[in-house]
Amino acid sequence: MTDTRLIATSPEGRTRRSLTFTIGAVVVGLHLVIGLLTLFWAPYDPTAMSGGRLEAPSFAHLAGTDRLGRDLFTLIMIGSRIALIVGTGAVIIGAALGVTIGLLAAFASKTLDDVLAAGLDILIAFPTLLLAMLIVASSDGASLWTAVVAIGIANSAIVARLTRILAKRVLRMDYITAARISGTSWIRVVTIHILPNIWPTLLVNLALQFGLAVIAEASLSYLGLGAPPPNASWGRLLQEAQGTVYTAPFGAIAPGIALVSLVIGINLLADGLRDIGDPTRRRRR
Amino acid sequence: MTGLTIHRDASLKTSRRHVRMVTAAALIVSAVAAGSVQAQDFDADATINIGSLYEPQNLDNTAGAGQGINEAFNSNVYEALFQLTDAGTVVPALAKDYKVSEDGLTYTFTLQQGVKFHSGDPLTSKDVKFSIERVTAADSKSSRKNSLKPIAGIETPDEATVVVKLASRSISLPYNLSYVWIVNDKATNLTASEDGTGPYQLEDWRRGSSLALTRFDGYWGRKPTNGDVVFQYFTEATALNNALLTGSVDIITSVQSPDSLAQFKGNKDFTVAEGKSTTKLLLAYNDRVAPFDNVKVRKALARAVDDARLLKAVWGDSGTPIGSMVPPTDPWYVDLTKSDAYDPASAKALLAEAGYPNGFTFTIDTPNYDPHPIAAQFLQTELAKVGVKVNINVITANEWYTKVYKAHDFQATLQEHVNHRDIVFYGNPDFYWGYNNSKVVDLIKQSEASATTDEQTARLKEANTIIAEDAASNWLYLYPQIVVSAKSVTGYPLNGLNSQFFVAGIKKDD
Repeated sequence: MTDTRLIATSPEGRTRRSLTFTIGAVVVGLHLVIGLLTLFWAPYDPTAMSGGRLEAPSFAHLAGTDRLGRDLFTLIMIGSRIALIVGTGAVIIGAALGVTIGLLAAFASKTLDDVLAAGLDILIAFPTLLLAMLIVASSDGASLWTAVVAIGIANSAIVARLTRILAKRVLRMDYITAARISGTSWIRVVTIHILPNIWPTLLVNLALQFGLAVIAEASLSYLGLGAPPPNASWGRLLQEAQGTVYTAPFGAIAPGIALVSLVIGINLLADGLRDIGDPTRRRRR
Repeated sequence: MTGLTIHRDASLKTSRRHVRMVTAAALIVSAVAAGSVQAQDFDADATINIGSLYEPQNLDNTAGAGQGINEAFNSNVYEALFQLTDAGTVVPALAKDYKVSEDGLTYTFTLQQGVKFHSGDPLTSKDVKFSIERVTAADSKSSRKNSLKPIAGIETPDEATVVVKLASRSISLPYNLSYVWIVNDKATNLTASEDGTGPYQLEDWRRGSSLALTRFDGYWGRKPTNGDVVFQYFTEATALNNALLTGSVDIITSVQSPDSLAQFKGNKDFTVAEGKSTTKLLLAYNDRVAPFDNVKVRKALARAVDDARLLKAVWGDSGTPIGSMVPPTDPWYVDLTKSDAYDPASAKALLAEAGYPNGFTFTIDTPNYDPHPIAAQFLQTELAKVGVKVNINVITANEWYTKVYKAHDFQATLQEHVNHRDIVFYGNPDFYWGYNNSKVVDLIKQSEASATTDEQTARLKEANTIIAEDAASNWLYLYPQIVVSAKSVTGYPLNGLNSQFFVAGIKKDD
């Protein structure tokens, strides 16, 4: 199913492939495999103080140990899982809320549309992290799920605005007018005509939102507002390593590499999706 | 075995410290001698930049300003009748002299002559009365308001005499008066301005960034050895270290990251000095609620945690293990590190005896700044070994104040307690941790009513031993107290007792 829709065939009949897509897919896939693996196996128990204080990387501890002597490689592996959970959760919430609000605005009367559009602009102008912090602070204690919900809501504003613009553009098409005149129900208009048309662009945007969600979660955890310990979020690992960044720099570098690689991987994936979905862009390259 | 190692380490440390103090004393003597021969070798009008992590919320220590205001203002901008010196002794300051009646209920203070407030107003006994009553007032948020409760009345027979009448004996009255700032009774808006008698006056306060003090020329006492002092505030230890490394501050009042030690030790441009600390890290239980109302549970948890290992994890080789709330610098210190020492096997047995053979689950409200989160995770791992499951709830400092300190809505919490002589908190059953042992309450009350310091010390030693045996809280370790400065700067306080930081003696090379 994915193949037919995403990797469309060009007029010449050859499959359009993208190098950025491949690299992105490999990097994200690696994180996914590692994240899934930690459900069954990890080099060490993540809470076990298996080594000495701030040991340098070695064969026993591939990324060294933290102040408590815990294996950093294990913690970073679990960090992959947490980043992916937050990214996926936030994107699902962002997409569900965003697409709904966006379509509503596109279909709504002019006044309601204006109100919604203004509301979305305000939400977007508000920094994602700050919005997420507000939501976490107003809830009863920080947890992985408050972080997911908070980031998802912040994401939804961007998704909603995009959906609204895309849907409005499609709604102006003659065949939509024809469909509506012929009495097609609006649910059918949305599912048959609008969503398939806006889906590729939306998907690229959602992939970018995924990357932003991963960074937002790391930032929240860095501030102590994300997943509480012992969830090994990369942001928290960075925060814990900060106090010893000069004496044991690897403790900060390793989670940093993990975070950057996942976010770059996702962005490459999004870029690749756009290349595949947009033949003009591909030809230009 | 572990106990033995700790003990040896401790004694080594003491002797090292001792050597360092002797050397310091020798240096001071030689410096004084040199000073008398040479002319000044320091810049008398220098600006000293001090880096600190503790920005005050406002400028009034009776209005919940936080420890930062004591650091910046005690003895610098405001003086008190007495001063708690950096060595821990209480000496007369604005009180030139005082007499205590036979029954210990009447204190007569004679004030220093010729003292002027920064506004130019002279100091009178009325200002003193006003200042003490400001702290004991119903709306005062002073953290030690309770300790001035014995004061029944204040009389001002003449301009230079203050008579304080007590309802009951209070042997630490001079000590307690050392944090009662004497302010001008005509002063208004003390949360944003000041009118004290100290060697410095406030020049500029930029919220979120700095607080500048400048020398007050009408000061009655000895002239400061520098011209201006600027406290620069940082929110984060690494940024503070970098400020010292790049020369934008001259001194860090209290180093909060072991990493900075590695950066500054062995660097010839900086001086790393270790003082005596009073800051303790506590796992404080809510002793009112089950299962922490059970002594056996508290003792079991104390035995389940390897404090020395936690200290090592957080601080490397600095810091000191403690067995109770009292640090070695308090007169009533008793070595209690062996009381409920690390012993997971007996911890398990005690839990079973207490009716929790399979352990239990509880939540630690953990402030979101270092070292609390790392300590909480350590406790989580250690307590899991004896079957106790810990949930970590990360909260901000503000939430801690409202949820834990005010509302007592918690099971257990981590907190650093910085104050000197703060064992007295265990004599207050309404304190946030709710420890209530009538014997301890009595002893602490009686100690205050003692006629001699020996009596006071004996009683507090007994109270100290009881709270340790009751494992009232879990005292994890004593922080090291480390001050780092540029080599060109000398004469600053090392111990920072009660967060004070006297700046008048700081010298900067010409």
